[in-house]
Amino acid sequence: MLTRRLVVQTGLATIAMPAVLRAQTLSGQITLMSYAGIFQDNYTKAVIEPFQQAHPGVKVNFVPGGSSAQMVGSVRAQKADPQTDVVIMDVTTSSIGNAEGLFEKLMPAEFPVLNELLPEARAAGGEFGPAVTFDHLVIVQDSSLKPQLAKLADLWRPDLKGGIALAAPPNIQGLALTAMTEKMEGGDYRKSIDAAMKKLKELAPGVTTFDPNPDGYSLILNGVAKVATGWNARAQLYSDQTGGKINALLPPEGSVFQINTINLTAGSKNRAAAAAFVAHALSQGAQKAFTERMFYAPTNGKAEIEAKALARTAASPENRARMIPVDWNEILKMRDQWNNRWRREVIAAGR
Amino acid sequence: MTASRRLPLLLVPATLFLFVVYVWPSLGLFRNAFNEVGPTGAMVEAWSLETWRATLHDSFTIELTLNSLWLSSMATLIALCMAYPVSLFLFRTDSRFRGLLAVVAIMPMLVSGVVRVFGWLAILGDRGLVNTTLQSLGLITAPLRLVFNWTGVTIGLAESIMPYMILALLAGFGRLDRTLEEAARSLGASPWRTFWRVTLPLSLPAIALAAGLGFVLSMSAYITPKLLGGGRVFVLATEIFEQATTNTNWPVASVLAIYTLLLLLALLALSNLLARRLQR
Amino acid sequence: MSYLELSGLQKRYGNSVAVDDVSLAVEQGESVALLGPSGCGKTTTLRMLAGLIEPNRGTMTLDGSEITQLPAHKRNMGYVFQSYALFPHLSVARNIAFGLEERGVGRAEIAKRVEEALALVRLAGMEQRRPKELSGGQQQRVALARALVIQPSVLLLDESLSNLDAKLRDAMRHEIRSIQRSLGITTLLVTHDQVEALTMCDRIAVMHRGRIAQIGSAEDIYERPATRFVAEFVGRANVLPIQRDAQGRAAVWGQAVPVEAAANADLFVRPQRMRIVPASEPTGDGMARLTGRVLRSVFVGDHVEVLVEGAGGQLTVEMPSGMAAPTEGGEVAVVWPRAESRVFAREAP
Repeated sequence: MLTRRLVVQTGLATIAMPAVLRAQTLSGQITLMSYAGIFQDNYTKAVIEPFQQAHPGVKVNFVPGGSSAQMVGSVRAQKADPQTDVVIMDVTTSSIGNAEGLFEKLMPAEFPVLNELLPEARAAGGEFGPAVTFDHLVIVQDSSLKPQLAKLADLWRPDLKGGIALAAPPNIQGLALTAMTEKMEGGDYRKSIDAAMKKLKELAPGVTTFDPNPDGYSLILNGVAKVATGWNARAQLYSDQTGGKINALLPPEGSVFQINTINLTAGSKNRAAAAAFVAHALSQGAQKAFTERMFYAPTNGKAEIEAKALARTAASPENRARMIPVDWNEILKMRDQWNNRWRREVIAAGR
Repeated sequence: MTASRRLPLLLVPATLFLFVVYVWPSLGLFRNAFNEVGPTGAMVEAWSLETWRATLHDSFTIELTLNSLWLSSMATLIALCMAYPVSLFLFRTDSRFRGLLAVVAIMPMLVSGVVRVFGWLAILGDRGLVNTTLQSLGLITAPLRLVFNWTGVTIGLAESIMPYMILALLAGFGRLDRTLEEAARSLGASPWRTFWRVTLPLSLPAIALAAGLGFVLSMSAYITPKLLGGGRVFVLATEIFEQATTNTNWPVASVLAIYTLLLLLALLALSNLLARRLQR
Repeated sequence: MSYLELSGLQKRYGNSVAVDDVSLAVEQGESVALLGPSGCGKTTTLRMLAGLIEPNRGTMTLDGSEITQLPAHKRNMGYVFQSYALFPHLSVARNIAFGLEERGVGRAEIAKRVEEALALVRLAGMEQRRPKELSGGQQQRVALARALVIQPSVLLLDESLSNLDAKLRDAMRHEIRSIQRSLGITTLLVTHDQVEALTMCDRIAVMHRGRIAQIGSAEDIYERPATRFVAEFVGRANVLPIQRDAQGRAAVWGQAVPVEAAANADLFVRPQRMRIVPASEPTGDGMARLTGRVLRSVFVGDHVEVLVEGAGGQLTVEMPSGMAAPTEGGEVAVVWPRAESRVFAREAP
């Protein structure tokens, strides 16, 4: 029973240690859960590695958690014995976690960096984890397509028939597209989506898939589709990686922010290190590095991003002006209803 | 303790394993079915029948059920039409390549479902093998829509259950004695009449077994409808997955999962009854 | 031309030859047995005749027309399988009706003929039974009725009795023989059981290594075997190696025997053709004789087997059981008519 006694003693010693001493000597491991693939690669390079250099005693394990909904599911399932310390996921799912008490409230007293964040970044999480990245819906298109799409309305061009890949609701891309189409048609999604439904119904017969797998970018690169809905950051990165085979269009009719929040798991087993990581992720340096690497717009207003990279995010002034103010919590309440209308009105017309 | 009294000990490993990986999570699933969901998707612990009421009253649940039943029936029927001749051949042939042929027939089982589906995309897509061939032959002008719809899912599903059905047929062909066919031939039945009057009736139990297996596999198939359906194919399995992993609505997912399980159990009981009748 | 003629039939499976060269002529109404050990090609011959397998060479004609290329279902042959091959999913009546249904016979006619066929095999009242509800003998008779009801050109019986127990087999032999006679149906019977062949058939073709070794009446085969194989396979025989004595005459056990023989030959004599006489009794006219010592005598019911030992071998004599058995160890003479001696060359090793 030597080991158990040792563990108990060590545990007691840790609790007994003054907070100041702990902050200075961060150690152990923390687990960060977020998206796999290029997000993981670039986040590791731009944010995690610098953090580990600053805190040599801490090891950050990046665990790919699948979709945001799967991540909140994992945290929910581990509520009694949390295995992750920090989770970066979409605001629509982190709000579920917040409501279920899976994540901690973050106080400016402990996290002074919160005061540097843009107001909408703070607002995204309420008192809980704030926005850590901003992204927005774009029309991704094959760059060999002539003429190139210049606005959302071009999606209805007859020559695109059979080459359109849309992610329909409940995917949040579909929800965003609904709000954007309603706006394009002169409406407001908060009042009605009738106009959007009518317009999207016309588009439906030309849609090749309402569920792009693995994603719209790949379908364009494989030649299965010519245009797709997508997220700006990934589209920009894929564009760079493929020597410009795909293009991202921010429609002049307006787009919708996608917000990833950073969340500190309630009951984290290495809270000190986890909190330090959250602060680091929101800091100017990390925000700058990640934006310049992957084109997510920063949430820290003080981060100074180089102009070239900034122009490719939603953070540049002219792009910001095009954003449709969307309250994701409002949309979530309407999601089931929108979902049903898509199935019965749009997808049914696309068979 | 006698050997026969120790015999049940053989069941211990499987029982423990099943308890940990199946029974325990199923109990969790059962519990979730009685929870409630808040307006933004947060799960609220409760003992409530509200999700049951709402889900079972939803016309979409009926639609999903009919979709699943129809898709599974079609896929099973198509797979059966292909698996039956293959199995009969494998059961009968004296070829020294029989072993090899059997392996080839069940090969799709050894390939991951995802890989298989992407193979079908390459074959059935707008610019896939089928469409380019038909277009180059001048038979069609615009590509046929063969994937991202019910057609593609039915084809893909039929292919994915075929190997299992071949194995089930081969296992079920026990009563098929070649001498009986020879007897029919000697009594004046042509090969076709022999098949119709002797071979087919005697393989009905095998067919029932294989069809039951294919149907259950189709009902629970998720990857094929998801990846080949193009968001147009809504069946119980895809809906359970969507509810659990996109909507984070575990109570609805749990209710649908239990509902599907009960449906399958009922269908299995029915097919068992049928098979026993045929066996008589 | 005979009713049924097989000519030069051959069947090979890869390198092995199942049937080498079989020619056979059967008259209408005649019953012929193909008798031989397993693997001699008798069943293969029957299956070629039924059209179930195709010969590699040779022809078959039935009633003047060639049937070699005719598919099985057009040959009109009644085949009774060793395993009976009753359709398990059909009732007894439907089993028997099967061939008639395939011939498009009307329903009333079928009912009538099925009833007759069942009466013929003494199974009236069993119409609605399933095959598995019948005993082996009953199944056998259903199979027979099913083959007969189509009024076949030829009835083919493939080891049809070998799955029955001894007593039932005996009864069925006579039953089938009498049905066959009363219907006058041409029958070909395959068997490895010589009693079956001898009792059920007019003629017997003994098959050996894919060929017919001898064909003839039961008596021909038994009394005048044409080859060493036939002599050994049908009935029992004493096989006595022939040597030359000092004078260069043929001799067995060092005693001269009155046969013409080349070198490397054996003398065959049926045990029941031999008699035991006192050693002092002189050899009668036209008789052959050997002397030896009685080793033992065994009572086997209808006869007594006496084992006699001479210098260099033993032989068996079958005596009718009413006669007094010779004392064991006594010197005796074994005598037999010269005409009963058969000499066959020894096969090359």
